[in-house]
Amino acid sequence: MPDPVQALLKYVLLALLYLFMLRVIRAVWVETRQPAPSAQPQTLDAALSYEATHVHGTVKAPPGPEKLVGLSPAGVKGREFPLGAELTVGRAPGCAVLLDGDSFVSQLHARVFRRDGGLFVEDLGSTNGTFLNGVKVTAPVIIAKGDKIQFGKSVLEVRKS
Amino acid sequence: MIPLPARRRTELGLIILAVILTGGLYALAGFGKAGSLPANIGPFLGTLFALLIAAHIALRRLAPLADPILLPVAGLLNGIGYVFIARLSAHEARLQAIWTAVGIAAFVATLLIVRRARDLERYRYMFAAGGIGMLLLPLVPGIGEDINGARLWIHVGTLNFQPGEIAKLALAVFFASVLAERSDLLSQGTKRVGRFLVLDPRYLAPIVTAWALSLVIFLAENDLGSSFLFFALFIGMLWVATGRALYLGVGAALFGGGAVLALKAIGHAQTRVQAWLDPWVHAETTGYQIIQGWFAIANGGLFGLGPGQSGAASIPEASTDMIFAVMAEELGLLGVSAILIGFLLMVGSGLRIAVRCERPFEKLLAAGLSLILGVQTFVIVAGVTRLIPLTGITLPFVSYGGSSLLANYILLALLLRLSHGAESEAVTIAVPQEHLVVGRAE
Repeated sequence: MPDPVQALLKYVLLALLYLFMLRVIRAVWVETRQPAPSAQPQTLDAALSYEATHVHGTVKAPPGPEKLVGLSPAGVKGREFPLGAELTVGRAPGCAVLLDGDSFVSQLHARVFRRDGGLFVEDLGSTNGTFLNGVKVTAPVIIAKGDKIQFGKSVLEVRKS
Repeated sequence: MIPLPARRRTELGLIILAVILTGGLYALAGFGKAGSLPANIGPFLGTLFALLIAAHIALRRLAPLADPILLPVAGLLNGIGYVFIARLSAHEARLQAIWTAVGIAAFVATLLIVRRARDLERYRYMFAAGGIGMLLLPLVPGIGEDINGARLWIHVGTLNFQPGEIAKLALAVFFASVLAERSDLLSQGTKRVGRFLVLDPRYLAPIVTAWALSLVIFLAENDLGSSFLFFALFIGMLWVATGRALYLGVGAALFGGGAVLALKAIGHAQTRVQAWLDPWVHAETTGYQIIQGWFAIANGGLFGLGPGQSGAASIPEASTDMIFAVMAEELGLLGVSAILIGFLLMVGSGLRIAVRCERPFEKLLAAGLSLILGVQTFVIVAGVTRLIPLTGITLPFVSYGGSSLLANYILLALLLRLSHGAESEAVTIAVPQEHLVVGRAE
C-alpha cells in the first residue's frame, strides 16, 4: 500500500477512535440529562405519578386484564371496575370506585394500584378500614384474582376480565 | 427509569463500532509492519466479536439495566491492546487471545454467580482470608517465581499466574463491607481524650490489619506498583466512606513516610527512584527502559508514525509495562489521548454507579472498583511518562497479562452487577421498601 494512502488511513483511524469516544460520551450525556436519582420524588403519591409518566410513558396506563366486581351489598353488587394503573376508592365524587351508598366508606378510602406487574391495595387512612380476605390492610398489600376486598361494608372481588 | 432495551441497544452499537475500529487498526498495523493484511485478521475479528456479543447477551439476560458503556470501552481497549501485542510478539498475542476468552467466560460466570452484589457482604472474612492467601501464594517455595526482581508469580505446570490481581478485588470487597458497617464510627470521634473526641482505634483494627499485612506482603514481594495501588484504594475508600478529607492528608503523610523507609530498605525501590529522578546517569542500565519509552513517545509526535511503523520492539517490556509508550509512538498524542479518555469514561461510569447505588456497601464497592481501575491506569501511565517512578503494573485491559485481564473482566462484571442493582432499585425505590408488603394477607 502506498505511503500516502497509509498515512491518510491513519488519520481516518484516529478520527474513528474519537468518533467512538464521542458516541460513548453522547450515551452518557443522554442519560445524565434525565432526572438524577436525588431529583426523584420521595413521597408515595409523587412517586406514583412520577412512575406513571416516566416508566409507563403516559399518565394513564392501559387497563390491565383484571377488574373489580362488586359482591355486596345490593347497591354495589354486579358493578364492574376495570383496573388501570390506579383506582381510588371512596365516597368523594372524583373516586373511580364510587361507593357513595355505603356510609361506612370514607371520602377517600383506599386505592388499588399496579406496580412492577403486581396489583396492590392500600388503605388511605379510612375510618372503618380496608380488609383483604378478612385481614385488615395496614400497608400496601399485593392482591390477585379471587381476593375479596372490603371497603367499609362493601365487598368487591378481583377477577380476570 | 431508563427503558430496558435502550441501554443494551446503545451497548450493542458501541460494540460493533469497537470491533470495526479494532479491525481497522489491525489491518493498518499489518500493512505498516509487513505490507500485507495480517493472516489471522478474519478469525481474530470474528472471535473478538463473538466474545463481546456473548458478554452482551449475558448482560441482556442477567443484568439488563446495567451501564451501557463499560463493556464496549473495555472491549475496544482489549482489542487495541491485542493489536499492539500481536505487533510485538506473536506468541504473547496467542496467549492474550486465550486469556481474553477466559476473561469473558469469567465475566459471564461472575454475573451468573453474583446475582445480588450485597450478598458478597456476607462473605467478607472469606474474601479477606482468600485475598491475603492469594497474596501469600507467590512466597510459597516451589510454586512462587521471581520475574524481574519481583516475586508475584505462581507457577503450576506450564501455567503462570499472578494471584495478586484477583486478591485486589477480594480485598476491595472486604474493605467495602467493613467500612460500610463502620462509616459512622469512623467519621466521628467516639473516644474522649482530654478535651477532644478521637477515633477509637478499635473500629479500624480489622481493616488496618488487613491493609498492613497486604502491604508487608507486597513489599516482601517487591511489588511497589501494587502496594501503592493498595494504599490508594484503602485511603480512597476510607475517604468515600466517611467524607473526611482528613484521611487523605493522613494517607499522604503515611505514604510519604513509608516511601522514605522503603527507599532506605529496598534496593529495588532505590533503582526505580534513581531511574525516575535522573534516568540519563544510567542510560544504558536502569534508566534504559524509561529513556527508550521517552524516545518512543517523542517520536510519535501529535499523530504518531502509524500503526505497525515504529521500531518499538527496542523498548524492554514493550508489551506489558511500556505498552503505553508503544501506542504513543504509533498513534501519537491524539491516539493515546483518546485511549485515556476511554479510561476516564470507564472510571467516571464506575463512580456514577457508586452515586446511584442505595446501600453503603454497594456504593463503597463500586467506588473501590472504580478506584482500582483509575489508580492502576494512573500509576502505569504516569510511570511511563515519568511523572512518578515507573513500577511494573499493567495498563488495564490493554497490557499483555492473563491474570490482569481476568481480574479486570471480573471487576467489570461486578461493576455492571452493581449498576443493574442500582437501576432496578431506582424503579422500585419510589415506594419505600418497608411499606411494601409483598406477601399475601391471610
